[in-house]
Amino acid sequence: MAEVLRFGGAELRPAERALFVGGQPAALGSRAFDVLMLLVESRERVVSKGELLDRVWPGLVVEENNLQVQVSALRKLLGAQAIATVPGRGYQFTLAPGADAPSPPRAAAAVAAPAVRGGSARVLVADDNKVNRLLLARSLQLLGHQVESVDNGRLALERLRREPFDLLLLDLEMPDLDGFALLARLRDDPVLSELPVVVTSSVEGVAAVARCIELGAEDFLHKPVNPVLLKARVGSLLEKKRLRDEQKALLAKLSAAEGAPDVGATGATIGAIAAGNVMATVLVARLAGDALTDLPADEAIELLGAWATLMVDAVQGQHGLVATLAGDTIVAAFGTLRAAPDAREDMASALRAATDMAELTQLLAHERRAEGRATITTAVGIASGPLLVGVAGAARRAVYACVGAAVERATELVAAASLRPEACVLVDEATAAALEGRVTLRKLARPARCRALPTGLA
Amino acid sequence: MAEPLLDQAVLQDLSDTVGADFVAELVETFAAEAPAMLAELRTTQAAGAAEPFRRAAHSLKSNAHTFGALRLVEGARALELGGLPTSAAAFAERMAALEADFAATLARLREVQHG
Repeated sequence: MAEVLRFGGAELRPAERALFVGGQPAALGSRAFDVLMLLVESRERVVSKGELLDRVWPGLVVEENNLQVQVSALRKLLGAQAIATVPGRGYQFTLAPGADAPSPPRAAAAVAAPAVRGGSARVLVADDNKVNRLLLARSLQLLGHQVESVDNGRLALERLRREPFDLLLLDLEMPDLDGFALLARLRDDPVLSELPVVVTSSVEGVAAVARCIELGAEDFLHKPVNPVLLKARVGSLLEKKRLRDEQKALLAKLSAAEGAPDVGATGATIGAIAAGNVMATVLVARLAGDALTDLPADEAIELLGAWATLMVDAVQGQHGLVATLAGDTIVAAFGTLRAAPDAREDMASALRAATDMAELTQLLAHERRAEGRATITTAVGIASGPLLVGVAGAARRAVYACVGAAVERATELVAAASLRPEACVLVDEATAAALEGRVTLRKLARPARCRALPTGLA
Repeated sequence: MAEPLLDQAVLQDLSDTVGADFVAELVETFAAEAPAMLAELRTTQAAGAAEPFRRAAHSLKSNAHTFGALRLVEGARALELGGLPTSAAAFAERMAALEADFAATLARLREVQHG
């Protein structure tokens, strides 16, 4: 590991266990530093949450939200895009040494996987024949790509599930898991189904080609592979993938900005959000503390961005859905997309998200106090009940409609919580009663019909 | 009429694409790998294992294609598409021809590489 690693405006000094951002030492805890080091050292691959927990908290049984807190703190310092969330797989550090300075924190969703950078892609070659494998790898390296290779389908699937690749070059005749079977597995995998695959084979006849295309392969090249065709097909597919990744990132930003559902962490797609009447839990969080309008505009906007980034992380970390994000208020739903078999699990998830929000806000407030800036808190209201949900709106602007008494109740509670001098989570009676014995709640005289959450989950 | 041993144009294209040094490495990889494929053909024929037999023939054909080894391609292709030979004598004759083609191809490839 180098003595100093620079990522634009950030400077990581492993020997000093210090991170500098914009030339200033960043207030970074020991665990956050360890998380960052592990992600930076392993930036060529996705690091699973399990590996991070094992290595940063060795020998300890630690809740996943502790890791979420550290990652969120790092994103706030380095920019939301610095650490990508790969749904179902873990995290990956995305800034290359010497990359552009991190942009200010924003409420953008994390990008799922590194896209093709500067024309160079990560390509996996799967072929059991050594001559073919070496030749394809060499041809792709000469085109400027980073190439990894494996000699059977099972190993290919393992690598693809572990690390991000931009393209797969796949032979058909392989032991363990052949090309057809691997294509079928990829097609059925929600994370890998969009990976472009070029089949390279000397299998004769059109039946095999047709079957590959039916199974989702983008293209088929007969062996021996013509290098001019290889270059053209690979270039075209990588360009398509780059554009698709850009569109996804843009959609994620737009959906966050315009209040459309941000479904990144749930693994769902917009099309998968069906209208319906569900029993769910609604969480409304509001930035409280000194009035935003008293702050200089630049500082206020920066604060809103940092706060929203942390709050979205907290919701997604507990598998909630961000329904709307409007400046200093966020509305999230738990149990609307993938309801837990027991509605109490969705309620507990909402309360855990509220606890994460409180912890993340404390981190942000601590940093602001250290900089002599006005302090902040987050007020939260939580209510459960029947909801009408679905995507609704005008043709050019849609939102995730989340309508029902629970939304109104959670909104009332967050308004009441905002008036309290301390950070406060107010929970409606229905949720509190359902979680009796699982959560430590304090009864309040005012406002009526609610309780406060002074501690985390029991 | 028998195919020529080698299509020089294929070999030249390969060399132009990935470099003569790399082609030389590739030829030696082929020299190391092909005997196992030939042995696999004999073993699987003896065992009556049709699918592994076809795969071994397919793999040999694929490598032969890479170097433009036309005669070897034809021999391997005939085994791949023809399935398990039923006559041991006919198979032995085919294998002898295939092994001779491999030896001649390899010698010619090495000759071309070393100028």
